Amino acid sequence: MSDPSLPESAGASSGGGGLSLRARVSIASAVAVLLAAVAVVAIVVAPSGTPVAAGPGAPGRGAGGSGVIRADGPRLQMLDNGMLAAVSLDDPGGPRIVTSQRCDRAYAAAGTVACLRPASALGATRLSVLDDGMRERRSIELTGFPNRLRVSDSGRMIAWTLFVSGDSYAGGEFSTRAGILDTRTGRLATSVEEFAAVVDGRPNRAADLNVWGVTFTRDDNRFYATVATAGHRYLAEGDFAAKTLRTVADGVECPSLSPDGTRVAFKSAVDGDPARGWRLSVLDLASKRVVATGETRSVDDQAIWLDDRTVAYGLQRSDGVNDVWAVPADGTGTPRLLVPGANSPSVEVPEAGER
Amino acid sequence: MLRRKATIATFLAAVSVTAGTAVAVLGDATVASAATATFTPVADTYVDNSVTTTNYGTSAQLGVDNSPVKRMFLKFTVSGVSGTVTGAKLRVHTDDVSGAESPSGGTYKAMSNTTWSETGVTWANQPAIDGATLGSVGSVVRNSWYEVDVTSYVKGNGTFSIGVTSSSSDGADFDSRESGSTAPQLVVTTGTSSTPTPTPTPTPTPTTTPPSGDPVLVGAGDIANSGSGDTATAALLDGIPGTVFTAGDDAYDNGSTADFNNYYAPTWGRHKARTRPVAGNHEYNTSGASGYFGYFGSAAGEQGKGYYSYNLGNWHIVALNSNCSSIGGCNAGSAQEQWLRADLAANTRPCTLAMWHHPRFTSGSNHAPTTSVGPLVQALYDNNAEVVVTGHNHQYERFAPMNPSGQLDNARGIRHFVVGTGGAGMYNFGTIQPNSEVRNNNTFGVLKFTLHSNSYTWQFVPQSGKTFTDSGTNSCH
Repeated sequence: MSDPSLPESAGASSGGGGLSLRARVSIASAVAVLLAAVAVVAIVVAPSGTPVAAGPGAPGRGAGGSGVIRADGPRLQMLDNGMLAAVSLDDPGGPRIVTSQRCDRAYAAAGTVACLRPASALGATRLSVLDDGMRERRSIELTGFPNRLRVSDSGRMIAWTLFVSGDSYAGGEFSTRAGILDTRTGRLATSVEEFAAVVDGRPNRAADLNVWGVTFTRDDNRFYATVATAGHRYLAEGDFAAKTLRTVADGVECPSLSPDGTRVAFKSAVDGDPARGWRLSVLDLASKRVVATGETRSVDDQAIWLDDRTVAYGLQRSDGVNDVWAVPADGTGTPRLLVPGANSPSVEVPEAGER
Repeated sequence: MLRRKATIATFLAAVSVTAGTAVAVLGDATVASAATATFTPVADTYVDNSVTTTNYGTSAQLGVDNSPVKRMFLKFTVSGVSGTVTGAKLRVHTDDVSGAESPSGGTYKAMSNTTWSETGVTWANQPAIDGATLGSVGSVVRNSWYEVDVTSYVKGNGTFSIGVTSSSSDGADFDSRESGSTAPQLVVTTGTSSTPTPTPTPTPTPTTTPPSGDPVLVGAGDIANSGSGDTATAALLDGIPGTVFTAGDDAYDNGSTADFNNYYAPTWGRHKARTRPVAGNHEYNTSGASGYFGYFGSAAGEQGKGYYSYNLGNWHIVALNSNCSSIGGCNAGSAQEQWLRADLAANTRPCTLAMWHHPRFTSGSNHAPTTSVGPLVQALYDNNAEVVVTGHNHQYERFAPMNPSGQLDNARGIRHFVVGTGGAGMYNFGTIQPNSEVRNNNTFGVLKFTLHSNSYTWQFVPQSGKTFTDSGTNSCH
């Protein structure tokens, strides 16, 4: 929203009483020319001869203005107000492709595009598995409200989380359901909660156990996820083939494994109280050392890794518009706006396995 | 100083003419006793039929062309303007780049769709350029300002969309709002610019709305729990006279007698004597919402129904029960829908406002739109109702007037509000739905309606210490 302000080109309500029409037009013309002069100066100082006077805060526009998104480079897939969309990772603030695919959560990797379709009022939702040409290869009917979604780096494994009751991780009562699909074998685990869980070294059969936020390792079998029970929110390591879960750290929600497999980006409840929000943090799996990132706003998302040094995540403005931000994973630096008007990001490299 | 400025200006204008800039269209800026306000776009983008799924919302450029076909979309929000708008000018600036020039700067038209997203619009999903032609710009050169008179369209505060097309295969390029000082502008002039003899000491007419004796209806939904949000909103009610409404989920978690006594009574309960409530799903966590009916008594309508109506001045107010499964459904032919149609048919007041808990239209992420209340919306639309107020999603959202299918309908449409801002913890937004005009989820507050004889004013009143607000006026149908 812009605040009304007096234009510098207008005499506004004061002092213009005696000016002739001609003089007024002349002033206006002068301002136009002066603005042009300012623009000329900007061009002179612009390092690369950018053809337009650069404005402050202009999110990088496409080079040359051709508006064509490179098909061969890495892309950031995201949702643009519920529509599957993509930008070039080299120019994430530039032009974007907006498809007609509607999703509440999406994730793409190695040619596999997963999309959780918007839930109906009764909570029926659907997982659509698309190829990179947006052709639906498989769909699974689910119950609950779309929440998290992940595809393994190889494009083979898909995991999702839905709220089946309640609607927020912040507080109060809620229940989630996380499932995993192996797209190669067709094997489906409709509820990871049914895996044999070992919590703090002891077998756990508690009815209050919830699982959310799956992230896969490179072997397309082991994974990490949040396991919540008895007021704790653990990081657990899972095994899809063996159907097991084993907690490895406490206070770790919505993990996201780094490309090199050594760290997990996660949301850390402020003072251990999710009602106070979350600090985006990074856990070193070997040393168990935790570093808080430079993002101080509350992040309720399963972050992604742009590379081994940078994590990205969605943040919502108070008017419901989302943005994708990026911040260094080592606790240094400050967040930068990566893609305005977008959420649910994932990085896709066209050549599978090249990342 | 002015004189010296004028001299310089004339000189520069001459230079610009010799440089070939014969189309100096900027002007009409300084007028005695007129006030001007300049707005930059809240959104601008263009679409291109050669790349039908590409969005350029973050680009610093805007293009209009006929080969490939490019169309520009501009959106302005005019606010804080009081008094009669005597002029509105759209100013656009061509890029300072070779090729920005064109035999045509485009044809500018009003658009009914004001809720398109800058980063979502593509050729494939572009909003219709469906309004009156506002003007055209002839040949344009690079790095110059051009102006279109849009006074016929911009007549006061509000949101305005302008679409631009061109029939020239040699397109023009303009600077977008991302470009900074050469971003498009909407210059709105108010006051007595048409006065032929300017008064020496201009004193703009005070335009503050005089205090009116019209009835006030104020309230919110999703109100009282163990937190402090309801304390903040109840404090707002202390300073606002009139009838208080609730939009359901009045007392958490279960709407039990204890919940009402423990949470609602100490805050909003201070205003119980002037409150007309509706029941939310949390009230029905207690069987038959008996805690709710017991607390409010006859003010809540007949126990077991929870729908009723009353009049405030020229307005008919209808409280409905969207806990459909608890009262025999909300479908066409249901007891409530039949009652509603009979009630509306018998109503003689010219304006109607209805409220219940579950929103038919919402962009909230926690609760999807409730389609089961559709027949109630249809009955209200069939009877020319003005406003629907709901809650359920803990946030504020205002929609443009819509028909029962959710399509923009400025002639007969109902304006829907979600006011789940009474005090319970805020929710996120999900996909922003068509015709959603204003949203906020970081401010508790109440929505205040002033019910004029044939129009209404709405105002979101924020909790102390917060700044978000929203206000406007509409006529009754």
